[in-house]
Amino acid sequence: MKIFFYTISISILLFSCKKKDVKIKEYVDTWGFEKPSHFPEPDYKFENNELSKQKFELGRFLFYDPILSLDSTVSCATCHAQEHAFADHNVPLSQGVGGTFGTRNSPALSNLAWYPNFMWDGGINHIETLSVAPITNMLEMKESVSNVMVKLNNSPFYLEKFKEAFEVDYITDDLMLKSLAQFMAMLVSSNSKYDNYLKGEVEFTSSELNGYQLFQQKCITCHTEPLTTDFSYRNNGLDSVFSDQGRALITLLEEDKGKFKVPSLRNVAQTYPYMHDGRFFTLDAVLDFYSTGIIDRNTTDELVRGGFNFSSSQKSDLKAFLKTLTDYYLIGDPAFSPPER
Amino acid sequence: MKNIKLTFVAFLSLTLLTVTSCKKDELEEAGTDIVESATSGSLKINLNHKWGMSNALDLVLNSEMIHPMTEDTLTFTTFKYYVSNFKLKKEDGSYWVHPESYFLVDLSNTASLELDFSDIPAGLYTDLEFTLGVDSARNVDGAQTGALSVSNDMFWSWNSGYIMLKAEGTSPNSANNTFVFHLGGFSGENNIVTEKSLSLLTTPLTIVSTKTAAIHLEVNPAKLWHSSPSVSVTNKIHMPGSAAKDMATSFYSSGSSFMVHSVE
Repeated sequence: MKIFFYTISISILLFSCKKKDVKIKEYVDTWGFEKPSHFPEPDYKFENNELSKQKFELGRFLFYDPILSLDSTVSCATCHAQEHAFADHNVPLSQGVGGTFGTRNSPALSNLAWYPNFMWDGGINHIETLSVAPITNMLEMKESVSNVMVKLNNSPFYLEKFKEAFEVDYITDDLMLKSLAQFMAMLVSSNSKYDNYLKGEVEFTSSELNGYQLFQQKCITCHTEPLTTDFSYRNNGLDSVFSDQGRALITLLEEDKGKFKVPSLRNVAQTYPYMHDGRFFTLDAVLDFYSTGIIDRNTTDELVRGGFNFSSSQKSDLKAFLKTLTDYYLIGDPAFSPPER
Repeated sequence: MKNIKLTFVAFLSLTLLTVTSCKKDELEEAGTDIVESATSGSLKINLNHKWGMSNALDLVLNSEMIHPMTEDTLTFTTFKYYVSNFKLKKEDGSYWVHPESYFLVDLSNTASLELDFSDIPAGLYTDLEFTLGVDSARNVDGAQTGALSVSNDMFWSWNSGYIMLKAEGTSPNSANNTFVFHLGGFSGENNIVTEKSLSLLTTPLTIVSTKTAAIHLEVNPAKLWHSSPSVSVTNKIHMPGSAAKDMATSFYSSGSSFMVHSVE
């Protein structure tokens, strides 16, 4: 009797609210954006740009496509090469359309989803509008966004890709920017020896460990763990006269002259030369600078004033530690390599 | 016996619960449909750009305009600006709010000088409210569409934010013969975004379903220079700051920059 009643009730429950749609849960594969367990929460959460494999792949095609430049000679990858951890091919300043030199060293692209703003002077506030800058810069891709849209809308390949990813028959610039944002946001660097050490999976050599401890004593206020930057703007005593005003170009504040964003040190061994203008070609040169090369001025950050006077064994240990920041997974992952048409 | 009774009661209540809860949803759905089909109408706002004292002249591109205060001779090649977040205030104090309300007014594009609105609840309206510029939220929200798309060349690529007003052209009074004013800024002291409220009390707006109403506004950009120097002193503004703020606010805030000319 009981069983009979229970069966009837359950059946009624199941069939009662016919009007409501019952969605069948599709098999979802594990591809996606994963916050590494030892990282803080990311800044970018794909809120108006739902992450999908098609959009990511589309962003990847665009990233590697010189169609974004005036004469189709320069792509994002031209200055942000995977083998150099998405920095340029070891040049201080990059060359754009026609060979014109840019004004600042091409930053290594990784962990961008954690950045509150972009560029050496922090002038760009959103990963989706980031791409507008290199595309329209006269020294870089020298193009206009509206012209890129004409080119994309005249390409059967891109019309098909955008239809697949966004279900549109006409490509608008917001969709291009969002695809690029998805590709860039997926460039996560969290599998270096340093990361594995933090997770307790590997051990450091004694030199690496000494270097790490020194790093924690002297460097992490600015190169905060685990992203190795606190995203602040600092004058680290490179110059007494600033040819590049840095952050002051954005804030117009006197005290911001000569300040640049603390760069991430991830993959630092691969991304030479160093500093906003690429003036130091080796880690040795950087360590020498921080030892005894700091120029003290009123605006030089007090954290570096006077220099650190590292001994040669300290420099050697620091270098060993900095090399543990190389993430071979990011540099070698075929998912981020040039796609095949 | 007791067990069967309890089970039966439980079973009955469960059935009633599920059946009635479903019915409620159906009723609610039907109710919403009824509300949505009430009388509504359309409105067009026409922007007529004037120049000089008492709006005596028309502002025309590629034509010499003499500024009454700075005495500069200005030939505008570009004049575009954002207006947004339109609202109409009803006589009972309630508001109709235009959703996703962003327009790029461009003197070189006649179609952009008429702003169209529809699905406005029928009735009598006493105030027109709108915003000059783009609200700060949209300046930090990533890639946008339509009037706010970056393709409109109204977005600073290197210093994220909208160019809310763009005035470019030539002038013999300028040191390099050109003037380029890109006005923007949405945060703190640099914020130029301004809310406007225009009274329609003397010319009340009636929205009906049978005809499209119209508000004719006169806009006078000469106000841009009412607290800013001649182009012989400043011929370029290209980022947010005090110069942009002075220029934008004297145009945006002045009571006579945007005036209701007539209402139909």
